[in-house]
Amino acid sequence: MLQEESDLSLMIAQIVQKLKGSNLYSQLERQAWASLQRPEIKLESLKEDIKEFFKISGWEKKLQNAVYSELSVFPLPSHPAAPPEHLKEPLVYMRKAQGSWEKRILKSLNSMCTELSIPLARKRPVGEQKELLNKWNEMGTDEPDLSLFRPVYAPKDFLEVLINLRNPNYENGDSLSFRTHLGLIQVPLKVKDIPELKECFVELGLNTGQLGIDDSTQVPPELFENEHVRIGQKVLAEQDSAAAQQYIRQGSPTALRAELWALILNISSEPEDVLYYEQLKTNVIQHDLLVDSLIYKDVKLTASNDDYYFVFEDYLYQVLLCFSRDTSVLSHFAYNSASPPKSYIRGKLGLEEYAVFYPPNGVIPFHGFSMYVAPLCFLYHEPSKLYQIFREMYVRFFFRLHSISSHPSGIVSLCLLFETLLQTYLPQLFYHLREIGAQPLRISFKWMVRAFSGYLATDQLLLLWDRILGYNSLEILAVLAAAVFAFRAVNLMEVTSLAAAEAVLADLSTLKVMPLLQIFLFATVT
Amino acid sequence: MSRILVPCHVKGTVALQVGDVRTSQGRPGVLVIDVTFPSVAPFELQEITFKNYYTAFLSIRVRQHTSAHTPAKWVTCLRDYCLMPDPHSEEGAQEYVSLFKHQSPSMTFPKWLSHPVPSEQPALLCEGLPDPSRVSSEVQQMWALTEMIRASHTSARIGRFDVDGCYDLNLLSYT
Repeated sequence: MLQEESDLSLMIAQIVQKLKGSNLYSQLERQAWASLQRPEIKLESLKEDIKEFFKISGWEKKLQNAVYSELSVFPLPSHPAAPPEHLKEPLVYMRKAQGSWEKRILKSLNSMCTELSIPLARKRPVGEQKELLNKWNEMGTDEPDLSLFRPVYAPKDFLEVLINLRNPNYENGDSLSFRTHLGLIQVPLKVKDIPELKECFVELGLNTGQLGIDDSTQVPPELFENEHVRIGQKVLAEQDSAAAQQYIRQGSPTALRAELWALILNISSEPEDVLYYEQLKTNVIQHDLLVDSLIYKDVKLTASNDDYYFVFEDYLYQVLLCFSRDTSVLSHFAYNSASPPKSYIRGKLGLEEYAVFYPPNGVIPFHGFSMYVAPLCFLYHEPSKLYQIFREMYVRFFFRLHSISSHPSGIVSLCLLFETLLQTYLPQLFYHLREIGAQPLRISFKWMVRAFSGYLATDQLLLLWDRILGYNSLEILAVLAAAVFAFRAVNLMEVTSLAAAEAVLADLSTLKVMPLLQIFLFATVT
Repeated sequence: MSRILVPCHVKGTVALQVGDVRTSQGRPGVLVIDVTFPSVAPFELQEITFKNYYTAFLSIRVRQHTSAHTPAKWVTCLRDYCLMPDPHSEEGAQEYVSLFKHQSPSMTFPKWLSHPVPSEQPALLCEGLPDPSRVSSEVQQMWALTEMIRASHTSARIGRFDVDGCYDLNLLSYT
């Protein structure tokens, strides 16, 4: 059909344009030039011979991985008549809601700025630059006075905004009827039910081996684990992103995880990448941003207090401060419903040549943001690699957890999916919790916004994030949240207040995620 | 063969419902939009483009003149074309849609569009569809175009966030 062919050529053109600006392109070009010296490359069949050379030397595989990466991240090209904002978010009322929310954040940051008389950004004097450079590896020892700073917002503020989202074209009446949603989310997004989830997450089924279940001490490793590790090593040897993504749906062996995630996210640490990270570090040294204080405060409040993550405090500063300076992150706003905040150079208000983004990467951190980085510190110890992995995880997944959009992996859909699953498959529990004033989403929201980081034990968290990568979707977070409620249903049925319900669900550190998910999806009698 | 925009006049929606519009409380599920073409010369319609707004199904009827002497008759080009797979959820609710000539028998002349809810109207046009056998050369052309655009920008990789070394900012801007 002609429309599909035009879609395909448009997609090819977009991917080609994207890749032309990448390191891979220059490397391929260099390799092609160098290959001309090889005896098997003949002038008469130059194109075919070079293509063959790329195939044999593994460069074609690298290109395939890059294309696969682009396909995973970028949405399908939309209709030619659709404006850029349609690609960010197709529903007008959601775009408007995101715009209002952003305005609130900007106002909050501006008032913090004026109240504390601290500039948004300032150039560090040379002495201060030297000092920071010296203690770059131990910024955690610093104890700056952060008492006046407050996080720009916390997840519960964001939840209130989502609860008030309304589709102006959707009439569901003010009074309770069969058409109103019983949960907190009132927008009619399409979410999957359990039969659809079973189809989607088929590799989590009862008949398929899983790490997190079939590698437990009681199960002999010959039954599944050994073979799975062997296959994992083979996947790594082949350096195939798509195969790695398929493989990791059954979980990643601990020893292979760092490499597998890097392969799936298409991160290779080239000298250019290390250089880029060093450049970002220089930017941190040269300019001090107000956002830095927010990052410090967040790390001190969250990761530093966590038994598992406090050892990584210094790494977190090294990653997050650089992240704020990274303008390459701006490109993800093409498919993010959010937009980067804008400012002007002092004295040049309104002059477009002096318009800049603030912070340089356009992302204002909120309370708990550093928890997106913390678990990665277990896998990567080299700062520039850790940085690249985090950045890619952010622009693929994490940004969806704190922006308002209709995307199936966006936080709004996840909330609705959670509530719908609970309401459909645990109606008694749902009703009971509503009756006692403990809307389930009020408890599970913080888990999903943080992708469960800081709530689960780290080995369990990493098994969960394996599946996020494997399925290229965050829906598993909503399914796990529902599975946790299902698991503690008996206790929850006995509580009589929101506080008591929260107490039942306060400690998730002993949970094993894969059995919970498997039982909820595949073994619950419906 | 070049394609051009056809000027058209889109009338307001008319609800289809039984009974008196003024007194009846019911909300009709079907609305009709008349589209007329002021130019008299016949044309061959290739594509209709519009942005949907909560229309679930679309039917298009066309009044065709077959010859000078026979009276014009109404022909159904498209019946119940699904725009929203689940009308109770947001999928497809605000999407941009193109309908092509090959999806229905030949369309010439005025249309009678029926749909449940007002939709913002069309008459946009996009560039010619690439010939299947020329996809590769199309890509080359687009590549050349993007090259020209890229050549005028500096590389964004090691991006500068300051203006001439200065990042001394006012407050954040709300616009």
